This record gives sequence, C-alpha cells and structure tokens, in this order.
Amino acid sequence: MSVLTLRERTRKTAAGASGGARRWSSRLTGVAFVLPAVALFLLMGVYTIASGLALSFAKWNGFTPRWIWVGVRNYLDLLYADPVLAAELRRAAGHTLQVMVAVPLLTVAIALPLAVALNSVGRLRAVFRTVYFLPYVTTGIAVYFAWRYVLEPDGAVNLLLRATGLGSLAQPQGFLGNPSTALPTLIVVLVWSSVPVATLLYLSGLQAIDPNLPEAAQLDGAAPRHVLRHVTWPLLRPITAAIVLLGIRDALHGFQVFLVMTRGGPGGHSDVLGLMAYRLSFFKGLAQTLGLASALGWLLFAAALLLTLVNARLLRAVR
Amino acid sequence: MDVARGRLRRLLAPALVLAAAAVAAAGCTGDTGEPTRGGDRTLTMWTFKKSHAEALTTAAAQFTKETGIAVKVEAVTPDDVFVSKVQSAAQTGGLPDVLEVHSGGEDLEMGASGLLQDIRDDVTEAWKQRLLPTTRESGVLTRQRIDQAAADSPFKNAAAGQRFSVPFTAGAFGIVYAHKDKLKAAGLAPGTPPKTWEDFLDALKATTARDPRQGGLALGLKVSQTGFNWIYQPLAHSYLGRDRFHALWAKGAARGFASPEGVETLELYSRLTPYWMPGATTLGIDEADIAFAQGKAAFDVGGTFTLAFLAQNGVSPAELLTFPVPPSAGGVNKEISMSPLALTGLGLTATAKDRGAAVRWIDWLTSPAGAGAVARKSLDLPATDLGAQAESLVGPDLAAMQKFFSGPPAGAYDAADVSFQPSDYDQVKPGDVMVRLSPLGELTPGQAGAELDKAMASMWKATG
Repeated sequence: MSVLTLRERTRKTAAGASGGARRWSSRLTGVAFVLPAVALFLLMGVYTIASGLALSFAKWNGFTPRWIWVGVRNYLDLLYADPVLAAELRRAAGHTLQVMVAVPLLTVAIALPLAVALNSVGRLRAVFRTVYFLPYVTTGIAVYFAWRYVLEPDGAVNLLLRATGLGSLAQPQGFLGNPSTALPTLIVVLVWSSVPVATLLYLSGLQAIDPNLPEAAQLDGAAPRHVLRHVTWPLLRPITAAIVLLGIRDALHGFQVFLVMTRGGPGGHSDVLGLMAYRLSFFKGLAQTLGLASALGWLLFAAALLLTLVNARLLRAVR
Repeated sequence: MDVARGRLRRLLAPALVLAAAAVAAAGCTGDTGEPTRGGDRTLTMWTFKKSHAEALTTAAAQFTKETGIAVKVEAVTPDDVFVSKVQSAAQTGGLPDVLEVHSGGEDLEMGASGLLQDIRDDVTEAWKQRLLPTTRESGVLTRQRIDQAAADSPFKNAAAGQRFSVPFTAGAFGIVYAHKDKLKAAGLAPGTPPKTWEDFLDALKATTARDPRQGGLALGLKVSQTGFNWIYQPLAHSYLGRDRFHALWAKGAARGFASPEGVETLELYSRLTPYWMPGATTLGIDEADIAFAQGKAAFDVGGTFTLAFLAQNGVSPAELLTFPVPPSAGGVNKEISMSPLALTGLGLTATAKDRGAAVRWIDWLTSPAGAGAVARKSLDLPATDLGAQAESLVGPDLAAMQKFFSGPPAGAYDAADVSFQPSDYDQVKPGDVMVRLSPLGELTPGQAGAELDKAMASMWKATG
C-alpha cells in the first residue's frame, strides 16, 4: 500500500480537476457544434412532421387562422366513407401499384444487361457510359415537356411509325390521349429516366466482383449466360434490392411526370397517389382539403414503411 | 444607484428618439389618400394573369403621373402557383397591398379567412354605378352565401354585407371561335354563326370531313372541367330552362342528371365525340388555344377572355367568327344570351401598409379611364361599364363582344349564379365524368348521369 505525500496528493487532485474541466469544455464544444444541426432538425424535421400529422386530423385551406379538428374523418373519407373520394383513391392506388411493379422490374431488366455489356466493352467505355447516363443528367420538367411533344398526335413517334409502315401502331389521339396507352407510356418514360442510375449502380457492383469468380466458372465450362445467372446475379442482389427500393419509393411519392404529362388524364386513367395528394393540396382552390392531402401523405408513409419492412425481411432471408 | 439610473437613461434616450421618429413617420403616411410631398409611396400588386401584368404596369405609369403613387405589379402564374404563393405569404406576412383574384368565390374565401379587408365603406354608390349592373354585387359576402355554406366554412364566422373585392374584368364562358378560312374551305358561310346546336354539329362535321386532322374542335380537356363548364352548362341551360337546369344539381337528385331530361342533355353533349381535335384530352387550356391559333383545329371554345390570348398568339380578330354555344333546336330557349359575370376582382390585403393609396389605385383601375387603359392593352373586357365610350376606349373587337350580353334576362345564362350548387362544389368531379362521356366514350349518357348524381350527392354530404 503506497502512502501519498500531501504534495503528491495535492498535485493529483489539481490534475484531476483540470482534466474534468477539460472534459466538460470538450463536451460543451461538441454540443455547441451539434446544436445548430439539432435545432434545425427540430424546426424543419420534428416540427413539420408533427404539424403535418396534426393537420391530417383537421380541415384547413391554408388561409384561415384556425384549423377545424375532424378527428380521423379525413382518413375514413379517403378509405371508404366518401364514395367518390374513396373510389378516386382506389383507382389511383391501382395505377400506383402498376407503376411500382413495372418500373423497378423493367429498370432491372434493361439496366443489368446494359451494365454487363458496358463492363465488357474495352474501348469507348467512357463514351458509352456518358451516352447512357445522359437521360439522368437531362431529366427534369423540360424533358417531360419534350416527351409530350414527341408523344402527341403529330409527334415524332407517330411520324416515325407511319413513315416505317407501322401506321397501325400509331395513336391518332397521341400516346397520352388514349386511355389504354397513357399509363404504359408514362411507365416507359419513368423507366427511361431511372435506367441510367441503375446501370451505374450495377456497373460499380460488377467492377467490385472478384474477377477470379467468373473466370473460375468459365474454366469449369459455364457459358456467359450461366455465369451471369449463377455467379454475377447473386452477387448483385443487394444492388438489385436497392434499385427496386428506389423504384418503389419513386412510384409512391413521384407525381411530377404525371402532373406535367397527363395531369392524371385522360379521364383519370393515369392518376396516381402522389398526384392525388398534390391535387388535394393545390388544385382545389380554397376548399379545405389540406387535411385530406396530409392524411393521404401519411397513408403513403405507412405503405412505404410496410414495404421497407417487408423488403428488409426478404433481404435478410436471401442472405 | 446613480450609475444604474444613468445607464437606463442612456438606453432609453435612443429608444425614445426612434419611437418619436416612428410616430412622425406614421403621421406622414396617414390615411388621407393624398400623395405625400417628397414621400415615397409605392404599392405592390399581384395578379394571376400574365396578360394583365403588362397592361397593369402600363396603366400604373399613368396612375403614378397623376397621383405620385408608384405601383409595382407582379404576375404569379399559373393559378395553383398563385394560390400557394398567397397561402405562403399569408403565413409569413409577405402579402402585397393589392391582389387581383377570381371573383365569385376566391375573393370571398380570402376575405372570410382574413386575408382581404372589408372595403364596403370605400366603395360608394357612385363607384358601384360605374360597373356593369350584373357585376355590381360581386365581391360582397351575402347572407344567402353564408347560409348555404358548410358548417365548417370560414364564411360562417364572417359578417354578411362585407365587400372583399371590386369587380375588375367581366365576361362570359362558352364563347366559340372559328377560323373563317376553314369554314370557307368546308363550304360554310364564314360570316354566319350556327343558329342551333345541331347547325353547329353540322358545321363541325363539314370542317372535319374537309380536314380530319385539323378541322375539329379544340378545348383543353386536360383541365377536365372545361367541357362541363364551358359547353355543357350553357347548352343544358338553354335546353332545360333555368329552373329545370338548377334542379339537375339539387340535393336528393330527384330530377338530377340521370333523369330523362338530364340524360337528354348529356346525349346532346356526347354528339361532339367524333369532332374533337386529336389529342384534346392531353392539352391544357392555353395549349388548346395555341393549337387553334396554329390552325390545328377549326373551332375553339373559351370565354370572352380567350380573344386576348388568341391575339397574343398571332390570330387577328378579323380572321375569326365568334358566337356563344348555340341552343339546341329542341330546347326551351331558342336564343342564347349570357349575363356578363365578374371574372376577376381587386382586393385590398389585410396587411396593406398604405390603405389610402391602395384604395385610390383600385378606384382608378375601375374608373373608365383606368379600366379602358388596361382593357385596350390586355384585350380583356372590363367590369366597368364604358357606355358609349366603349369602342373608343377598348377598340372595335372587344366592344363587339359585348353584343353577347344582351337578350331576355330570364333566358340568359348566368355562370356567376352558384346558389343551386353545393357550397364545397368541386368542378373537377363532374369534369372527369364528362371526359369519360366524350371524347373517351367510356360512359353512355345514362351512366354519365348516374355518375354525376353520385358526385353531387357526395358534395352535398360534405356540405352537411
């Protein structure tokens, strides 16, 4: 047992006190650095989310000083109580589901072979990558307007079909004016704009694969398609999951393409949930539908959450 | 103690100086309506019409010369962006002094919600007499309007008799424009408008037979309610007469759209199906007008305000034949006439900093001089009655449009009358049904009638 002299004990106590002060000072500095971000999150994140949730239980047109509380009526009206609104929701949900299934599937079906082809190209790879990435760089409102011109009755697609003897496939009302082609056409445009990112993701995934693995498979006599199916595809599964999730997220929340190109028409044949929420917010003049729009937003959030949980579970099972 | 007192004094002195300066400044910008000598009086105004912004800016220059009050005009388009910008500005205190808003609903909603001031004391009897008779009470929140409103409407908390806007522009919907050269090419008389709905269909048949791709009818059906509001309603009104027409919307739908007479009106409308221009359902209102201006259709339906837009897009009014949607030969009213309704109004915002100057600007804009100056530049009919000066103030083309505003009052179609509709009336719902009836042809007139009754029942239920 060591005996400390008074001097040593004093020195240790002083050192301990100064260490504690330093620790506190360092903690305070950390807190000070984090505080602006936390305050911003509380204001822009927590406050807006809480306010949005509260609004879903009220009626408001954005002008009146007070909200009118209606409880869960907005949710019930959307789900079944208002026959017109509920029918609108069901129709939009059906279209959204079609987009949710078709866009990720088609994106994967096009982006994966494209990435494999790009990965195997030796020369001009950078040029090809730029070309395929172009839709992503240019995508936006202006491009959707350009698509509209291409797809209208006298647009380039109809002209091309007529010029090449495929006039029977041309759409006299335009591809967006025919109820049976409007939604599939929008799905094609969505796939067109989502393929570049998916290709880039697959390309980075392909470049991360150990070259010895496909090489070993080839040495064992596997054909390229077998290598793709049994070696490359399983290794790219996490990337596929990410692409599918991104596609589903876009389908649930996206409305810009639908707003610019068809506004949900003709006759509601391309209406989706995101557009319906936008319409309830901003296309109802001064009707008190902001609460309905908010309730629909929360229903979409619940659907997205559910899908994410299912997806996470599936991914775990695959691993 | 002395030190503390001294510090207090040092702090208070500048505050008192600032307060005195503020009081003096407030005194200078009093509510006299007179220009301040050497003072800077600048008003701000928002409009949702781009074609009005330029005309208003030109008129503002004249107003500034006369009064010394400057006005900065800003166009916020399209309509939904305007509404959302006003919503945001109302929350952040960033509203301008004056707003040009839709009459007959938007102005009252904004007023009842506290965004616009009550200006009934400013709008004197002499001021009202300047306006077209059918527009004078537009902008006033009536007892009837409050009683009809849903229980949770902001109208319920507002006092009757308040005026939230002064009518600025007026006009009518359901005006058909036709290219004279296309009529001539189809063997039709380019100067004679069709007398009946059936004549109109025959004319459409002739022009589409002559040119199947560019001889049809243009209308921006992407905004689905245009067909219902601008064609169906005037047509059904003339076919059924006012009372029976109102009964289509009535609660309970005993004589609603699915009734035999209702279905007849829908059948009349559905006869348009072969004659829509290709892709009409993909076009917005402006896009359809542009397509018509480019010669992609023989006919175009809009309102009196459409003339201005067509002229902006290079069509001379002299090249056009203009007429209201004609009545059916088998209907009650054999001649169609329209009551001019206030289309837009001018409102004073609750946060206007210089009330006197803002009221003076609104007063000047609705005087013959101001209204004429704006109308001539924007080619939009004013709500101000220009009387004998009309032609000299707004030009012959615009003055000629006023001929549609004559006719027997009982038979006149008044689009401003919404007393028979549910208070939460949503035009898009019947509009979507009409698009499915024509041009899509997905519903028969009977099915469309049933769908319309269902939509009305839902809106009546919301009204309570």
